[in-house]
Amino acid sequence: MSYEKPLPIIDEDNAPYWEYAREHQLRMQKCAGCGHIRFPVSLVCPRCHSLETEWTKLSGKGKVYSYVIYHQAYHPAYKDDIPYAVAIIQLKEGPRMESNITDCHMEDIEIGMPVELYFDDVTGDVSLPKFRLGEGG
Amino acid sequence: MESMKDKAAIVGVGYTPQGKVPGRSSMSFHIEAARNAIEDAGLKIGQVDGLLMQPPMAAIGDPMVAPAYLAQKLGLRVRFMAAHDVWGASAGCMAQHAAWAVVHELADYVVCTYGENALSGTSEYGAALNGGIEYGMFGAVAGYALAARRGIYEFGAGPETWKEIAVAARKWANLNPAARYHDRPMSYEDYYNSRLIVDPFRLFDICLISDGGRAFIVTTAERARDCKKKPVYIMGMGQDHSATNAPQATHLAGPIGAKVSGEEAYKMAGVTRKDIDACEIYDCFTYTVELTLAGYGFFAPGEGKDFLKAERLAPGGDFPVNTSGGQLSEAYFQGFTALTEAIVQLRGEAGKRQLGAVTKTREPEIIMVSHNGGVLQTHSTLILRR
Ligand SMILES: [Zn+2]
Repeated sequence: MSYEKPLPIIDEDNAPYWEYAREHQLRMQKCAGCGHIRFPVSLVCPRCHSLETEWTKLSGKGKVYSYVIYHQAYHPAYKDDIPYAVAIIQLKEGPRMESNITDCHMEDIEIGMPVELYFDDVTGDVSLPKFRLGEGG
Repeated sequence: MESMKDKAAIVGVGYTPQGKVPGRSSMSFHIEAARNAIEDAGLKIGQVDGLLMQPPMAAIGDPMVAPAYLAQKLGLRVRFMAAHDVWGASAGCMAQHAAWAVVHELADYVVCTYGENALSGTSEYGAALNGGIEYGMFGAVAGYALAARRGIYEFGAGPETWKEIAVAARKWANLNPAARYHDRPMSYEDYYNSRLIVDPFRLFDICLISDGGRAFIVTTAERARDCKKKPVYIMGMGQDHSATNAPQATHLAGPIGAKVSGEEAYKMAGVTRKDIDACEIYDCFTYTVELTLAGYGFFAPGEGKDFLKAERLAPGGDFPVNTSGGQLSEAYFQGFTALTEAIVQLRGEAGKRQLGAVTKTREPEIIMVSHNGGVLQTHSTLILRR
């Protein structure tokens, strides 16, 4: 069965992020100048403008910072998914990212809950970092 | 910084057919709105020598939607011109930049335009605003609903407050024949019964999508006195654009750019919140209105519940907000909705919804106008007086 949902828009800048995701690694740019981990991808560190970065591997542990529940399918491929959860995840290492929280009752999600990363291999080329409600903090 | 208080004025407004207007290009709404604003100001075509346009969302990257084409179609030869995109804050920012331009003699009269066939054309309003399409984050609603949930968590925002904003806007729309929901009243029950779209937002927390356009003209205070209509003076102005995207933002529960830009505008105008007779607030979502009014200091975060009651915000109330029905109940024009309404009200041309005796509200001397864009990433404040 083919995957009908919109795929991430992969460009010259964010290609490494998605290449690591395909290898089931969540990596973000860590500034070699000041240590700040930035997201989304950018050429320079927004704190110190250093150009030097390394793609640091994140633990995938975090907490729900905010979340919403889609009750409307804006795209036909989401018809069978509603209600589904979109969340901002506060990652343990500092940055926050948007993703889905899956495999739970929507009403069980609360701000502050611990979550754990997994990768959803939606196509042969693309794996999406997603989250499930986790144990402990 | 040099004070811009009362140095520039808005002298013309242009409207177009609005709502669902099929068979029209976005450019045609820019043209018609500009034409009508020029006529409203009583200007000759040759007098308009400045042009700012906010390109429609669906046209970003479309080489045929450019300010020079708009000038060409209007027969204008200008010496100050730009495409101007600060997202939903553009209208307020344009007014400010046009004011600086005329005061510093870069132009005599600057026409500022917006137009889009957003409802009938190839709208981009369902696209991801800041990324996240791979997670099913469709539309600006994703980011704002995420912000709103954070507001519920941090200070007790929520439907109890939002219903007041939605119902008051509808009551104003019921007095505005051009409003999408002119003929449709809304009760609190109707609000709560409207379906959840992206929880915590219901349908009636979310603005409309509309076809149409708006334009206005800025000139110096001196020139304004010779125009056809009563000038509306720019007393105070400010901008604050945090730009940070929703996940990294620290302002999802406020304070947003309303705070810094509002303080600047109050200072320039030499007024306080007590002097404000009405507010025209950028209302992409009900929650945006709550955050903006908190930012302007009308109440502390969390006290919106007590402050924002429909009977206060609505016709007959002591704190009128969004007197055309706003973008929730009149029409969505990237914030031109708010700015043009303030002008019409200060001129006394608002018909059945006119502030003052007609609607048993304060005579409008001073109106505060906000514009907001991205996911609470850009913000502009204007304080206007008649
Ligand atoms: Zn750095």
